[in-house]
Amino acid sequence: MNEERREFIKKTSLGFLVGIGAGSGLFLNFLMEKTDASLWSDKSTAGTIRWGMLIDMRKCIDGCQKCVDACRLVHNVPDFGDTRYQIEWLKKSPYREVFPTSGEDFMSKERTGKSVPSLCNHCAEPPCAAVCPTQATFKRFDGIVALDAHRCTGCRACMASCPYNAISFNWKEPRPAIKALNDLYPTREKGVVEKCNFCSERLLKGKLPACVEACPETTLTFGDLNDPKSAIRLLLEKNQTMQRKPELGTLPSVFYII
Amino acid sequence: MKITKQGVFFGMLILFALVALKVLWPTAKAEKIVPPTARVMPIDSTVCIAPTEYMRSHHMQILNEWRNTGARDNRPYVTADGKKFQKSLDTCLGCHSNNTYFCISCHQYANAKPTCWNCHLSPLDKP
Repeated sequence: MNEERREFIKKTSLGFLVGIGAGSGLFLNFLMEKTDASLWSDKSTAGTIRWGMLIDMRKCIDGCQKCVDACRLVHNVPDFGDTRYQIEWLKKSPYREVFPTSGEDFMSKERTGKSVPSLCNHCAEPPCAAVCPTQATFKRFDGIVALDAHRCTGCRACMASCPYNAISFNWKEPRPAIKALNDLYPTREKGVVEKCNFCSERLLKGKLPACVEACPETTLTFGDLNDPKSAIRLLLEKNQTMQRKPELGTLPSVFYII
Repeated sequence: MKITKQGVFFGMLILFALVALKVLWPTAKAEKIVPPTARVMPIDSTVCIAPTEYMRSHHMQILNEWRNTGARDNRPYVTADGKKFQKSLDTCLGCHSNNTYFCISCHQYANAKPTCWNCHLSPLDKP
C-alpha cells in the first residue's frame, strides 16, 4: 500500500512538471504580454528604404577634394581653418584614421596610402540617436540618421557616442566662416552640432547627394540597400567590401572597397 | 495505479501532437508598417497656403508647427483646399523673398524677434 502510494506521488508530480513545461510552450500567448515584432524592423526590412553609399577606393583620385568642396558649398559648412573649431560633414582622412581597427599589415601602399572619404555612416543602430536627450538626432523612415537643429541643445552626447567622429560642434558663430553662402540651405548657429544628412533635402527633390554628383570618377555609389536590384547592392554582391568598425555592431550603411 | 507501456506511448503521442500543432499552427502576423517613400514635393507655387488675412495673424502658429514636425514627419502639409506643400521655410521664401523686406518690415514695427534668421538665410542675407 505504502509502496504504491509512493509510486503514485512520484509519477503524478513528474506528470505535473511535464504538464507545466508543455503548457508554457503551448500557451505562451496567455502567459506573456503580446509583442509587436514589427517595432524592431529598423534594420534591413524588405519594402522599406535604407539609403546607403559605397565608396570604391580603387577609383578615388588621391588629392582630389571635389566631393568635400561640393559638400561644403551645398550645406554651408563653415571653414574655420583651425582644427580645434573645424566642422566636417565629409572629409578625406588617412586609411589608418578611417579604419583604425582593421590593420594594414603587409597591405600595399597603393591601398593604404590614399586618403579615404569618411562621412556619417547612417548606422542602422545609431548610438548617437540612442543617447540624444532631446531626440534631436534620430533615425528617419529611410534609414538616414537625421539631426533636427531646432531641438539640439548642444550637449555633445552624440559626439561622445559616435565611434566615427562624424559629428562636429559649432564652438563659434559659423556664418562668418562660410566662404560662399548658399541660399538653398540654412546655416547653423553657435552651440549646436552638425553632421552629414545624406543630402536628404536633395533626395526630396529627386537628386543624388552632392558628393556623388561632384565626383569626377564613379567612386561614390548611392542607393537603396533594401532593393536587391539597386546598383549599390549589385556592387556589394560582386565585390569584397568593408565597413568602418563593424565589430561595434552599429551596422553602418556606408561601405568601402579598398 | 498501473502504468502500462501503451499508456505512456499514447500520452507521449498526444503531447507531441499538441506541441507540433502549436509549432505548425499559422500565427496571425502583425500588420507590417510600410513607411512612405521620399517623393518630389511641389515647392514652387504661385499661391499661398492660406488667405492673406489668416496668414497675417496666424503665420507664426503654422511656422511653429512646421518647425516642430517638419524634420520627423515627412508627409506634406495639406491646405484646406487640398494643396500639398513641403514643411519648409523655403516653401514660403519661394515667393516671399521677392520682397527683401517682407518679413523684417513688419517684425520691426511689431518689435517681434523671431529666431528663424539665426540659421535660415533671410532675404536680406542672401547674396
